[in-house]
Amino acid sequence: MVLVKRIKPLPLGGILIPLLSIVIGILISTIILYVIVGASPIITLSCVVSSLISPEIVLTFLFLTILGVALLVAFSGSIWNIGAEGQLWLGTAAAAYVALFTTLPQAPIVAKIVMVLLAMVLGGAWAAVAGILRAYLNIDEVPVTLIMNYIAYYVINYLVRGPWLGKETWGYIRTDMIPDQVKFVLIPGSTTITYEVLILAVLTIALTYFMLKYTALGLRIRILGSNPDALKAAGVNVRALIITALAISGAIAGAMGAAQLAGYLHRISYPIESHTANYGYTAILVAWLSMLDIRAIPIAAYIVSALYQAGISMQIAGVSGASATYVFIGTVLLTFTVLRVFSEYTIKIVRR
Amino acid sequence: MTESKAYNSNFSLKINTPIVSVKNISKRFPGAVALDNVNFDILEGEVHALLGENGAGKSTLVKILYGIYSPDKGEIYVRGRRVRINSPKDAIKHGIVMVSQIPQIIDRLTVAENIILGLEKYGLTSRISEVRDFIKVKSKEVGIAVDPDIEVWKLSYTQKQLVEILRALLIGARILLLDEAITFLPLIEKRKFYKFIRNFVDEGGSVVLITHKIYEAMDIADRITVLRQGRVVGTVRRDEVSPDDVRKMMFAEKSAQITYERLPTSKPRDVVALEIRDLWVMGDYGVHAVKGVNLTVKAGEVVGIAGIAGNGQKELIQAVIGLRKVEKGNIMLYSEDVTNKGVAKIRVKGVGYIPDQPARFGVSLDNNIEENLAMLPAITRRIIKWGAVRELARKLINEFNILTPSSKAPVKLLSGGNIMKVLVSRELFVAKRLLVAYNPTRTLDEVTAIMVRKIIKEKAAKDGVGVLIASEDLDEIFQIADTIAVMNSGKIVGTFPGDKANRDEVERLMVM
Ligand SMILES: Nc1ncnc2c1ncn2[C@@H]1O[C@H](COP(=O)(O)OP(=O)(O)OP(=O)(O)O)[C@@H](O)[C@H]1O
Ligand SMILES: [Mg+2]
Repeated sequence: MVLVKRIKPLPLGGILIPLLSIVIGILISTIILYVIVGASPIITLSCVVSSLISPEIVLTFLFLTILGVALLVAFSGSIWNIGAEGQLWLGTAAAAYVALFTTLPQAPIVAKIVMVLLAMVLGGAWAAVAGILRAYLNIDEVPVTLIMNYIAYYVINYLVRGPWLGKETWGYIRTDMIPDQVKFVLIPGSTTITYEVLILAVLTIALTYFMLKYTALGLRIRILGSNPDALKAAGVNVRALIITALAISGAIAGAMGAAQLAGYLHRISYPIESHTANYGYTAILVAWLSMLDIRAIPIAAYIVSALYQAGISMQIAGVSGASATYVFIGTVLLTFTVLRVFSEYTIKIVRR
Repeated sequence: MTESKAYNSNFSLKINTPIVSVKNISKRFPGAVALDNVNFDILEGEVHALLGENGAGKSTLVKILYGIYSPDKGEIYVRGRRVRINSPKDAIKHGIVMVSQIPQIIDRLTVAENIILGLEKYGLTSRISEVRDFIKVKSKEVGIAVDPDIEVWKLSYTQKQLVEILRALLIGARILLLDEAITFLPLIEKRKFYKFIRNFVDEGGSVVLITHKIYEAMDIADRITVLRQGRVVGTVRRDEVSPDDVRKMMFAEKSAQITYERLPTSKPRDVVALEIRDLWVMGDYGVHAVKGVNLTVKAGEVVGIAGIAGNGQKELIQAVIGLRKVEKGNIMLYSEDVTNKGVAKIRVKGVGYIPDQPARFGVSLDNNIEENLAMLPAITRRIIKWGAVRELARKLINEFNILTPSSKAPVKLLSGGNIMKVLVSRELFVAKRLLVAYNPTRTLDEVTAIMVRKIIKEKAAKDGVGVLIASEDLDEIFQIADTIAVMNSGKIVGTFPGDKANRDEVERLMVM
């Protein structure tokens, strides 16, 4: 028996591999949770299944879709942006500033647009810092983007405790509620989903798809991942390209940050560390599961948000702690990675 | 061009048994039949040339022998026994070692480290001091002295191939498969290498030599096998055929296009396309590689730089295109100073560039032909018009006869020469005012190489493009250049009009 590298990846590999790894990953997680915390497999599986059809996951799904696309842009160029978490929170802060400390909310539509745009600028600039360090000083973007997440938390915590501390907070350390007229508008029948977030998710996918497929910028970002030297010799400014890719990635994450404020949180509470849903990190899994195919991002986001929800329901059901989410997500990621290696190889039986 | 035949052995007198025998091998790739019922014998003590046009299946055949691909059908016998070669490790057990068309060594490591790594991969070990001594001694014997402690990224393409040959010998190769590995060795080194190969086969080794240089095969091979579209056209003894016979086997009626006559001198315009003034450029070793070069290329003129690899041509070309920093001096493009302006600023002025390492600086192997076209700023500014790009891809595929399943196949699936065609055709297309090239026909078969030279010449004559070509292939320089500049140790040591240049004089200046 020998392993031979496939000339062509498996047909349907793009869909089959992620789906298969989810099924196997869930089964393994069920066993792990049973062995370690004694969670009944029936309860575990029913939590997973009910999460798959739970309306609660829609908002998480939308957020993870947007963030998944954000990361996909950078990952396509082999730029490992681990900083979506910080970039999105900076976006949240930018939007909060517009909503709370300017007179713009008097014109709600303008205010909403400016909130999102400023969030994009700030998120993009935040990511571009890592881009500049990588482009000019060849400093690895992974630790930089990661550290900048903590700096982002720190900056926002400082603002919320100090200059941005609200007047009517009932003793909590948090900002005031943003004015009602700049809150995103709930779609009828839902308590979490807003028109604006829906539009934002659709726009993000459509524009990014267009960018990657039909613009020189998108093509070059994709080539950046495999051969930067060829780009350079072709006359492409590779430094600018790296910075741009990170900036776009950060800008999309920033937009999601604005949406989380205006569509759901409505205020920022101290400390961020315990109020964040860690979407910025979870989205790494989404981008990875998509095999960097933008069409697979929503599917990956749906599955991850279901697993995320399953972990929460298990916690509510009292069968395990918050860690169940990480067991699910970690196992699926691992299974996926293993399957993916196998999908690129084929096993041949050879008679000796 | 023709060398003495002294390197051929009195082959016919020996009693020869096939040491490796390939029977009825077929290999199909999606969109291509690479090998179709191929029979091929390697005899003990022979040099066997494997010839054929680009995409004929040569590399596929030796890769099967080296265990990189497994055949769909057919058998391999080593010393009469049926064997299965599923990996290079298996191949090495039988003494079979391949030196590949594209050097497979790791840039960050030194020569010695690379060789050690190569040994470990196959379960062999050796101490670094032994390896270093081996490299020092053996590299001289093989042809070119290589410093074991130099980092590989500082080496030229040809030098990297030499490192691979050394590695193969250290592994203990008895059957050496050389895939276009020695084509660009400088003359003297090549002679040494021929002698080395002769010794190697006289001691019972065997060599399979893939090359596009007919004369190389005629000089050194005992037998020649020609492949065409995956089939064996025939296996002949070298002494029973002429170069033209072999070319007919390789290219059929297209062989009539092969000529090494000088292409007529084009009439340079009265405009200076490129002016290089007292140029100083640093090499990778921390010393100057280009030392005060002055050169002028007029619009419509082809200037050829002759020289042995490693005399500063690579650095000169890279400086002109903006990939390497100019320490001192100026580069003027149509009277505009572009010194240290960067590649982007230079390329947009209608400058084509054919680099030394096509797979690294030329194309992106993971992307398809269309993407490799569209990535150029000269072809796409912002929005990609895929329709137009596809049109262009089709045109280039037809014009250059690029063998590919479609314009959407990743370039890495093409044969070595066809990858080069993608690059060359694209660069000729974008070279509206100046073309800068290093070994522009390396890995191309004769028919294609000559076609490329004709196109370059035509671009100069008709469109007034200025052309600066450095080539390690003197035939190429003499065929194409209106002006020949000889480069040696970072300096231009002689300049001649192409039609009056004396070959012996040029060669003398090259090695001086
Ligand atoms: N891994 C692969 N996948 C798909 N097709 C391949 C692959 N390797 C080779 N081919 C195809 O098989 C054919 C033969 O290729 P091969 O590399 O053996 O040619 P070659 O004779 O070495 O040519 P060259 O002189 O250009 O190096 C070509 O049509 C090539 O496109
Ligand atoms: Mg080949």
